[in-house]
Amino acid sequence: MAAADICELNLTDLSRLIAARELSSSEVVSAILAHLERLEDKLNAFITVLREPALAAAKKADEDIARGQYRGPLHGVPVTIKDMFETAGVRTTGGSKILADWIPETDAALVERLNAAGAIIIGKTNLDEFGHGGTSTLSHFGPVHNPWNIDRIAGGSSGGSAAAVASGIGPLSYGTETGSSVRRPASYCGITGFKATFGIISRHGSFRGAWSQDHVGLFARSVKDITLGLDPVAGFDSRDPASVHQENPTYAARLDANMKGLRVGVLRRFLDGVNPEVRQAFDAALKFFAGAGCELIDLDVPEVSYAAMTSMMTSSAESAGINRRWFRERHQDFVPHVSRGIAVGMTITASEYLTVQRARHRIREALRATYKRVDIIASPTTARVAPLLSDGVKGNGDDTRHASYNHSNLLRFPSMLGLPGCSLPCGFNAEGMPIGMQLIGNWFADQTVLNTAFAYQSTTDWHTRRPALVST
Amino acid sequence: MKDTEKVGQRLALLKGISLSPADLEWIASEIEDLERVVAELEEFGRDTPWTAMPVQPPDKKV
Repeated sequence: MAAADICELNLTDLSRLIAARELSSSEVVSAILAHLERLEDKLNAFITVLREPALAAAKKADEDIARGQYRGPLHGVPVTIKDMFETAGVRTTGGSKILADWIPETDAALVERLNAAGAIIIGKTNLDEFGHGGTSTLSHFGPVHNPWNIDRIAGGSSGGSAAAVASGIGPLSYGTETGSSVRRPASYCGITGFKATFGIISRHGSFRGAWSQDHVGLFARSVKDITLGLDPVAGFDSRDPASVHQENPTYAARLDANMKGLRVGVLRRFLDGVNPEVRQAFDAALKFFAGAGCELIDLDVPEVSYAAMTSMMTSSAESAGINRRWFRERHQDFVPHVSRGIAVGMTITASEYLTVQRARHRIREALRATYKRVDIIASPTTARVAPLLSDGVKGNGDDTRHASYNHSNLLRFPSMLGLPGCSLPCGFNAEGMPIGMQLIGNWFADQTVLNTAFAYQSTTDWHTRRPALVST
Repeated sequence: MKDTEKVGQRLALLKGISLSPADLEWIASEIEDLERVVAELEEFGRDTPWTAMPVQPPDKKV
């Protein structure tokens, strides 16, 4: 198979071909690395590329598979991880000058599980510094560019991961999300991004953005691929205080496209400021759900209008706590915008933080009541497509300072509350930029979210489109 | 208390950190909002229980 064709393969097909030994891991990893080298100067999606270790690991994978020691769907498959995950013997920077040369001695739980699954980590992706941002332009290592238009942002903070998968530099990447850092870049880059319920995937060994809102998430080209990447890494880990006990995760085997009777809620008042093309694509998706037998339910949950403020205040205070020592010792070594944000967080008092948590609890209770009426809350993932790099951090148009029916609340409430969420492509605007839709489920109803997204992707093909960049 | 005094109180929490005038200006404009945001969230959460993290180990059961 030609190298260019290998890079076009999704995880499901790649995994099948490697398992059947119709493709070798070495061939695949070589092709993906060559593709990375061809595109990286346009994307800046990577901080560290693990060329030699990846090729060596691929050779070992081929030998093990040839001996019948096949470990599962990720065995021999090249994957990438956000440079937030400690990787033993490999520079792990958090996108920061502060850790520009730090080499951990131990692996994050995610890396441990990927190694056990036989995945081949080919690189550490670029990000907003320590996860503080929504653009992936706040990195010591320069901004990430969107593969659909390199003058636009990839979104953040997991922009490098999203850009990599969208460009075919590996079919699967792992990122993190505190505010919207998996869903937003997935939407901007036209791929599928999934964030499980808080505690499903261990955060042990990853940098903290805000401990009560941090999640590990995945990027892939389809929900089916997401589930193949989710199964090996989900599961209890006593080293993460938020980790939850769960039976052996088998999300892939339980994918089901039957949506008859599914109750899909829409918070319509929060959609007024959404870009018309985005709104049109979302409305078309709603028609799909109605046609598939779902019950569409209009929701009004006014408490959600406080979600963005509450999420912002919580993140701000927690990140100040996390970064306190470094900030006091070397604030000048943070990216300037991140440094200023931490400074603001350091002025939030303990009693104010606790006051904000009461607001958070009220929003949580409102959503708990809402999920008695619906199974999924659907909305556009972002109010607009990826903005221009030249627009800076304000280009996203977020409003986290006002209680209002602003779409920012829809973007922030899932991670603030630990709900499972998936962003998947649902169209393109007139300029060819991707539009994303998010499906947010009840706590621990991750399978429902995945099934709903799977059903949508079983009948539509937005998720199969590729940016022109990858074939030039 | 005047708004400028409130901002000054918050900036005092950054004592000992040398910030540029541009940084201070940006930070001051951001924290001007914080008083209002906290007040709104305090009102919003007024009748809601205070949340607490359980101290006991999570694997302990009755």
